[in-house]
Amino acid sequence: MSAERGNVKILVFACRWCGLIGADGAGRKRIELPASYRVIPVDCAGYVEPDAVIRALASGATGVAVLGCHVGGCRFNDANHPALKRLELLRTLLDTTGIGGRRLLLGFGTAHESHQYAEMIVDFHRELEGLPSMASWLHMAE
Amino acid sequence: MNPEFIRTICPYCGTGCGLVLKVEEGRAAATYPDRENPVSRGSLCVKGWVAHEFVHHPERLTAPLLRKGDRFEEISWEEAIALASSKLKETAAKYGPDSIGGLSSAKCTNEENYLFQKLIRAAFKTNNVDHCARLCHAATTVGMLQTLGSGAMTNSISDLAGADCILFIGSNAAESHPVLMGEVYKALDRGAKMIVIDPRETPVARNAHKLLRLNPGTDIPLLAGMMRHIVDKGLHKTGFIEKRMENFEALKTFLQAWPVEKAAKETGIDEAVIREVAETYARAENAAIVYCMGITQHACGAANVIAVCDLAMLCGHVGKPFSGIYPLRGQNNVQGACDMGALPNLYPGYQAVADPAIREKFQKAWKADLSDKPGRTVTELINAAGKDIRALYIMAENPCISDPDVNHVMEALQRLDFLIVQDIFLTETAKFAHLILPGACFAEKTGTYTNTERRFQLLHKAVDPPGKAMGDFEILCMMGKALGLAFDYNSPADVMSEYAGLVPAYAGICFDRLERSGIQWPCPDEKHPGTRFLHGEKFTRGLGRFVIPDYTPPMEKPDAEYPYYLNTGRVFAHYHTGTMTRRSPFLNREIEDPYVEIHPEDAATLGVGAGDWIRVTSRRGSIVTTARITDRVVKGSIFAPFHFTEARANMLTNPVLDPACKTPEYKVCAVKMVKDHEAKAR
Amino acid sequence: MLGQVKQKAKEILEKKEADGVLGLRKGLFDVIHPHVFTSPTEIDTLVLEPKWLFAKMARAILREKPQAWRLAVIVRGCDERAIVELVKRNQIDRERLLTIGYACDGDQAKACLCSRPYPQKLDAGSAVEGVDPLADERVKAYLEGDAGKRMEMWVAQLKRCIKCYGCRNSCPICVCVPCKLEDDVWVERGVIPAEMISFQLIRAFHLSDTCVACGACQEACPVGIPLMTLQLSMREALKKDYNYEAGLDANRKSPVLFDFSKEPRPGQAVPDWVDSMGKKP
Repeated sequence: MSAERGNVKILVFACRWCGLIGADGAGRKRIELPASYRVIPVDCAGYVEPDAVIRALASGATGVAVLGCHVGGCRFNDANHPALKRLELLRTLLDTTGIGGRRLLLGFGTAHESHQYAEMIVDFHRELEGLPSMASWLHMAE
Repeated sequence: MNPEFIRTICPYCGTGCGLVLKVEEGRAAATYPDRENPVSRGSLCVKGWVAHEFVHHPERLTAPLLRKGDRFEEISWEEAIALASSKLKETAAKYGPDSIGGLSSAKCTNEENYLFQKLIRAAFKTNNVDHCARLCHAATTVGMLQTLGSGAMTNSISDLAGADCILFIGSNAAESHPVLMGEVYKALDRGAKMIVIDPRETPVARNAHKLLRLNPGTDIPLLAGMMRHIVDKGLHKTGFIEKRMENFEALKTFLQAWPVEKAAKETGIDEAVIREVAETYARAENAAIVYCMGITQHACGAANVIAVCDLAMLCGHVGKPFSGIYPLRGQNNVQGACDMGALPNLYPGYQAVADPAIREKFQKAWKADLSDKPGRTVTELINAAGKDIRALYIMAENPCISDPDVNHVMEALQRLDFLIVQDIFLTETAKFAHLILPGACFAEKTGTYTNTERRFQLLHKAVDPPGKAMGDFEILCMMGKALGLAFDYNSPADVMSEYAGLVPAYAGICFDRLERSGIQWPCPDEKHPGTRFLHGEKFTRGLGRFVIPDYTPPMEKPDAEYPYYLNTGRVFAHYHTGTMTRRSPFLNREIEDPYVEIHPEDAATLGVGAGDWIRVTSRRGSIVTTARITDRVVKGSIFAPFHFTEARANMLTNPVLDPACKTPEYKVCAVKMVKDHEAKAR
Repeated sequence: MLGQVKQKAKEILEKKEADGVLGLRKGLFDVIHPHVFTSPTEIDTLVLEPKWLFAKMARAILREKPQAWRLAVIVRGCDERAIVELVKRNQIDRERLLTIGYACDGDQAKACLCSRPYPQKLDAGSAVEGVDPLADERVKAYLEGDAGKRMEMWVAQLKRCIKCYGCRNSCPICVCVPCKLEDDVWVERGVIPAEMISFQLIRAFHLSDTCVACGACQEACPVGIPLMTLQLSMREALKKDYNYEAGLDANRKSPVLFDFSKEPRPGQAVPDWVDSMGKKP
């Protein structure tokens, strides 16, 4: 089946205490990036319900990234722990169905800096390009 | 009081799934699937799961109503019955017995249908009784009677799971008979091939191995092309044909006129595909043909059915398990209503009105003189309203939404001297009545429904009808007595005893025997377990007959003024005229607004976006509805579900009838569309 | 075994330990249906087959009754697990519910591919060994092997969905009002097949840590979608990472709800940062 190449759309949920810093910074420094991502700032990675990731994929996102603070450094009482656990469990489900857990990128404590963020997007984009197309899942919906 | 769990049968489609209603304090509070039901085995569709939702709706009719000017006033049952019977008698006396007509109900039980047709026939000496099967599978009754001798599904629903090839033609079973589709998918899991013939890419089509999106109304050319290829290749079952069939030479001659190239041209389907599909069907060990409104609701509906039967018999795919011909009956008890003789030319059990010996048998049993003249059909009764037909008794039917060209229907009904409508809600048809009688829904009666596989199944009364509403059985008994008939039945079981005694095929059936899993007729005696498939040793008429199908292309095709094809049909979340489903909150939430399916290119041409209001107009009428943009329809065609009273697809449809069975051509007519700028924003 | 269950049920009613017993009744003409038995003599008509799950029904019945009204339920292993999960969610008051647990036989365990065909409180019958669902060929085909092939298989099945909501309606854990599947912000309305990714995955994920493998969903599905299989890898992941199985301990809530100090992954160190692309050292 055909690959996602040329069709990559990435939705990034970026926690405003870390991930968003990197995303913002990458923009400010004018780092060249594929124009395939959109960022949704959230107060905490714990705010991101897995259903939102599912909805994003159902709406045509090729991949979803959830960026949070490093595991010990959550601003809000370790809310990123359950977030991490939940999203890893969702990854299992994505793998089962063949959609592929690789479409879910979790970066907790890895995107504070602009260059980190930039590298991550470039790598994620490349990875997604090679994945088999999800069109058969989406074709059914109007 | 503790909750009670009462077993009954779903009131929606002809699959006949089993339900368990949870009753609390006299109210049907929840529905569970009946795990013991042999048809549904613990599954239900979205409608079945909420079958209880409309039962206690505040709009339920709770008392007889008499029209006074443009209002309705409550009257007592005594007054209502007295008025109804006297008015009907007066009308018959003044204008003759054939000025009365009755529309029986494919939603009511077998016992109620039997009593209704007996009432019309015995009290008024007319055969003007019919019901909505006229609008759907009358083509099946007429077509299959000629070819096989019996108009019923030849096999059982569970046989589908064992087929190696399933050919769908004009059926969207995934939406209209959802639980039945489960059996089809079982077959696919075993490796069976599914071929779908439909101009629309329905949910069934999306699961098909092969989809043939033929030009509307060209089913006979397609089937003929397939049969021609099968005969040319020698794939027809010569042994079977010699032993069991007649008139093969005539069929061969007919097929000379339909080489595959010609079929391809007429249908718009690739030659190679026609050949492939024909061979897949013919070569399969066991093959089933599933069909529904897509072929019956045409000006050549009966001929379409004949062509389907010819194909099945040509390949020997009838009269054995896992094969056969599957006309999917729509309503929960349309099979039963036909079986019980709510038909103008047939008594219960498909015994002919015109046959003097049969008539004599019924005259003796009913102690009444009966007319020897077949009566008028539903469509003819409505057309003649105010002319030859002066009074109608309509039981639980809603022609103001379900008949074609509803503007005409509404005009016609207003010309009647007297109209009685018996129903559970104030339907659009009831609004034209002079007298309204409040009946009971499925949860409020004991009786039987017969599903599409000829299975009599028992309903158990779970709750009482609201207010002063009464069971239709009780109402018919009162009415019958008021008209001088001996309708002293203690219970619906007594009614079954009566009709079982008059129809050899039902002779072995009684309520007790039905309790566990129902019985499929024919069941000629009390030891007989019922019949899984028909035409095993011989066809019902003896030899099967190859009948020549008369091809009539659609009567109204698109032209410059009305450039789009209109197709109509059903959707999964609503049922027919929406009387019950649109009062069920769950279903109404799932699909709330009327819509038509429009191809993206057509939408672009019209400047219409998803959800926009558009006006759709035909030569009959006009509706305002919303646009659903989808490639399920081909460019140049639209599809309108007919469930929505505020945007009735049948305002637009063509009332032209198939002359053989009097079924309207719902599936094809011509419309024009324009974006509606004045409609209020949603 | 049936005798033992009847005995227990009669005792409970005689001693007034409960006001009703929810189970299956074989009535006139051998017709079987759910029933709330209220007198010991009625118990003679009690039967245990076919498989009918009562946890959700029990919850609904208790909600309509006054606080003092108690219900006994006749449960298989999976039903008991469902009740435990509902208790965890404060949907059933443990004080008001008694269980009479009985074991399934080997055939039933095989039919359900059940790894635990017996309740923890076993009052009748003897427990048989469970079956490993992951050893079943058909299940494996949906879980292992080439992802592209598996995607085809899943799509082919989920394309059949007729949006009957039978899976949701019959699942004992699915009691949420409002239910997200009915909200068109999350799932497209009014079309079948149900929007595959959102309808199926939202439901499957909501059950990720609470599915008790009772099979009600799969049995209610008219078109035979292997819904139990969809849950399996998540159940396995929870077993492996947290030694957690839903429905066994009413006092242990899902580990996914708690931070790593409260519910760690035994044998795995808590990472300091996470990079699922595996780039960082």
